[in-house]
Amino acid sequence: MKITLSVNDRSVDVDVAPSTMLVDVLRDELGITSARATCGVGLCGTCTVLLDGRPVSSCLLMAPLAIGKRITTVEGLPDDDAVVRCFSERHAFQCGFCIPGMVLTARDMIDTGRANTPEEIREGLGGNLCRCGCYVKIVDAIEEAAR
Amino acid sequence: MTADMRRSPGPSPADPRVVGGLDYSIDHHVPGAWHLRLVRSDVAAGRVVDIDTTGVESDVTIITPADVAAYGTFGCQIADQRVLAAEPKFAGDPVVAVVAPTPEAAREAAASIQLDYDEAHGVFNEFEAATASAPLVHTSHASASGDAAYFAMRPLDGTNVCHRFRIRTPELRGYDEPELIRELPPLDDATMSDAFAGSDIVVEETFRTPAAAHVPMEPHATTAQWVDGRLEVITGTQTPFNLRQDLAALFGLDPADVRVVAPAMGGSFGAKTFMRTEAITAVAAAFTGKPVRCVLDRDEVFSEVTRHASTVWMRMGATREGRFVAKQMVAYVNTGAYADCGPGVAQKLGYAGVGPYRFDHVAVDSYCTYTNLPPAGAFRGYGAMQSAWASERLVDMLAGELHIDPVELRRMNLLRDGDAFCTGEIMHDTHFEELLDDAAKAVAWNDGRDGKGVAIILKGMQTPSRAEVAIHALPDGRFEVRSATADMGQGAPEALTRMAADVLGVPPEHIVVPPPDTDLAPYDTRTTSSRSTHMMSRALAAAADDLRANGTVGHGRIVNDGGLDPDTGTGVASSHWHQGAAAAHVDVDDETGIIDVRSLYATSYAGRVVHRAAAELQNEGSMIMSLGTALFEELTYVDGQLVNPNLSEYNIASALDGATIHHRLLETPGAEVHGLGETAVPPVPPALGNAVASLGYHPCRLPMTPERVLASRVHPRQEAP
Repeated sequence: MKITLSVNDRSVDVDVAPSTMLVDVLRDELGITSARATCGVGLCGTCTVLLDGRPVSSCLLMAPLAIGKRITTVEGLPDDDAVVRCFSERHAFQCGFCIPGMVLTARDMIDTGRANTPEEIREGLGGNLCRCGCYVKIVDAIEEAAR
Repeated sequence: MTADMRRSPGPSPADPRVVGGLDYSIDHHVPGAWHLRLVRSDVAAGRVVDIDTTGVESDVTIITPADVAAYGTFGCQIADQRVLAAEPKFAGDPVVAVVAPTPEAAREAAASIQLDYDEAHGVFNEFEAATASAPLVHTSHASASGDAAYFAMRPLDGTNVCHRFRIRTPELRGYDEPELIRELPPLDDATMSDAFAGSDIVVEETFRTPAAAHVPMEPHATTAQWVDGRLEVITGTQTPFNLRQDLAALFGLDPADVRVVAPAMGGSFGAKTFMRTEAITAVAAAFTGKPVRCVLDRDEVFSEVTRHASTVWMRMGATREGRFVAKQMVAYVNTGAYADCGPGVAQKLGYAGVGPYRFDHVAVDSYCTYTNLPPAGAFRGYGAMQSAWASERLVDMLAGELHIDPVELRRMNLLRDGDAFCTGEIMHDTHFEELLDDAAKAVAWNDGRDGKGVAIILKGMQTPSRAEVAIHALPDGRFEVRSATADMGQGAPEALTRMAADVLGVPPEHIVVPPPDTDLAPYDTRTTSSRSTHMMSRALAAAADDLRANGTVGHGRIVNDGGLDPDTGTGVASSHWHQGAAAAHVDVDDETGIIDVRSLYATSYAGRVVHRAAAELQNEGSMIMSLGTALFEELTYVDGQLVNPNLSEYNIASALDGATIHHRLLETPGAEVHGLGETAVPPVPPALGNAVASLGYHPCRLPMTPERVLASRVHPRQEAP
């Protein structure tokens, strides 16, 4: 089916099977590789994108369900985004595969006022897994970005 | 459409890894590539008697075991694996490959193929596999000839033991001993009674660790194509040159006719070492005449390669005053259906289990046994964790028997500069005492011991090994560093950049580090065992000297000789030692058995730090991974079937688990660079285990799940020494 999606404030037309997951549309149709399917069951957060500003697992979301909503990937964040800056400056990454999802989750936590303490930040990151184990620096980066 | 959706290049403070700007193996697409799916065995052992492909569309290429029968066997240390298995040896063993123009078509084709089997009995436990009545997983043993088979294999014919590693310190040699110990030897065993004769107290126990999953966030992703008779493979791998050699052997090619390009990996931890999906992908490319891409599903990643489950029996004797006299260890290491690098793991597990201590006598038997489980291979820590779990728990048991403080008991027996290790090599650059004191202090050891535990370990670096690097002066004034050191997230390009800038005396902006490409980079053993930063630091210094002497290209080559005799353990286990300690402070709910980690600390010897943030992250990441090992990570098999191949049932640590982590890098100005990729892995489980034990439990088996903790309750509660 032909659908129109709003990705990073741009309108894009794609022709995909209705059951295609959003992560596959982003990767295979649009070349946006920051969204990454890892667990495939919505647990690890590596595929996180923002849908109207709220984080969703794009590995579980069929693309047509995103019609009419604003899809934001890490590429769509402003160049001076504080979360991006703090993750970079604090070197809050190793392999980096999970980091775009972390950044977007953090963006939402900060925007909705849920990043006030390290405990709150860790709670909010419960659905974003990092096998490299960068949590100490990730929490520090989000704490700084929230200030 | 594709290009303009990406973040535009240009000056930006954002690191590419933060904003999705780095291409991993999975992001590399070769135009026109077809897609490979594997049809895997449902049974853990047996023979495929029928392959029904009637439901497969005509444009799909089907490759069966008969189609690839002409190819030989492969395997980095033992050549025991075939491209496809007519006689599958684990549930998940690839039997048929399908190649289709789209991923969906390949998936449909794979799903429509029906396999029929003549099922056989399997063996799944490493100890049972070594018994006389166990079914044989392989009927013969064939050592590999590649660079990864760097020591003599000691397969025991007619058994499931594909390698036996022994240590016998001088006075324990020359006895008439059985090739394979199938029953744990009694203390009055004639061979060993002399060894323990000087001991006033002897303790012994059996410790177990399960198979575990690496869980790289990026799955294995490989693309292969044949270009003018040469094989080109783009794949996430820590071992580009081993892979090149093994692929060349499989196809009968000169290694120079195989090109391996290794883009950045989205994590590996050992999962992407040696031959994985590359062989079948390359075969599929040969069959179809097209580029072929293979990306594993998450459940497949869980069975592609695992951590060795192990059973470690250990006995230790000491004098009443606390001087260590003798250690005996018999370890069974479960390498699954194919040896992979299991023989090496058995060896390193063997000597790491001796620990950083002086003994008069050491006897180690470490058996790498085949079972009908998925193959086990390299895993962060490479066997050292499994035996440190046993060794360091046993030291605390001994301390309890002797009524000596566990920290003090360790301190009395630590290896110091000039001491001989059980291999005969003389220790140098030792920092164990400082590490031990640092760990004890971190949990306020002297302010009460309840709920506290420490552990200290040594871990070897790959020895022998060779590192080469080339520095090319570019026309624009920059320098290109060509190295096969792979980037799995540890920050290899950053470390190479900083070290090259340092030895060349130029700003880091003048250094370019492309990903490993065996057509361009000189030979390197592999990116494992926390060796690469250390070895490349020395190779780069040599290359910079050469560049200054010769103008445009500088070559650096560093060789570390060494290795161990497989029958006595004599030799050089490691050209230098990874040294680490950990301390834990826990509460245990005595009704539920749940462990609450109040504090977890690790301290690792770093020598000279190259990249502070990356070094800290290695320590933190090792601790967090090992916390999962200690408390909840376990691959669960029922009759050889993995029952938790997903992240909802196989839990890994989250941010919530990392709240109590603290650590230190022990630095010495001007010292050698020490790798840090694994040092904090082995000491964490025993530090936690000893902390739990201090509260009246006796944990011997990982992970320490609440049920196991409760079951290990000691009645009446042990008094603290």
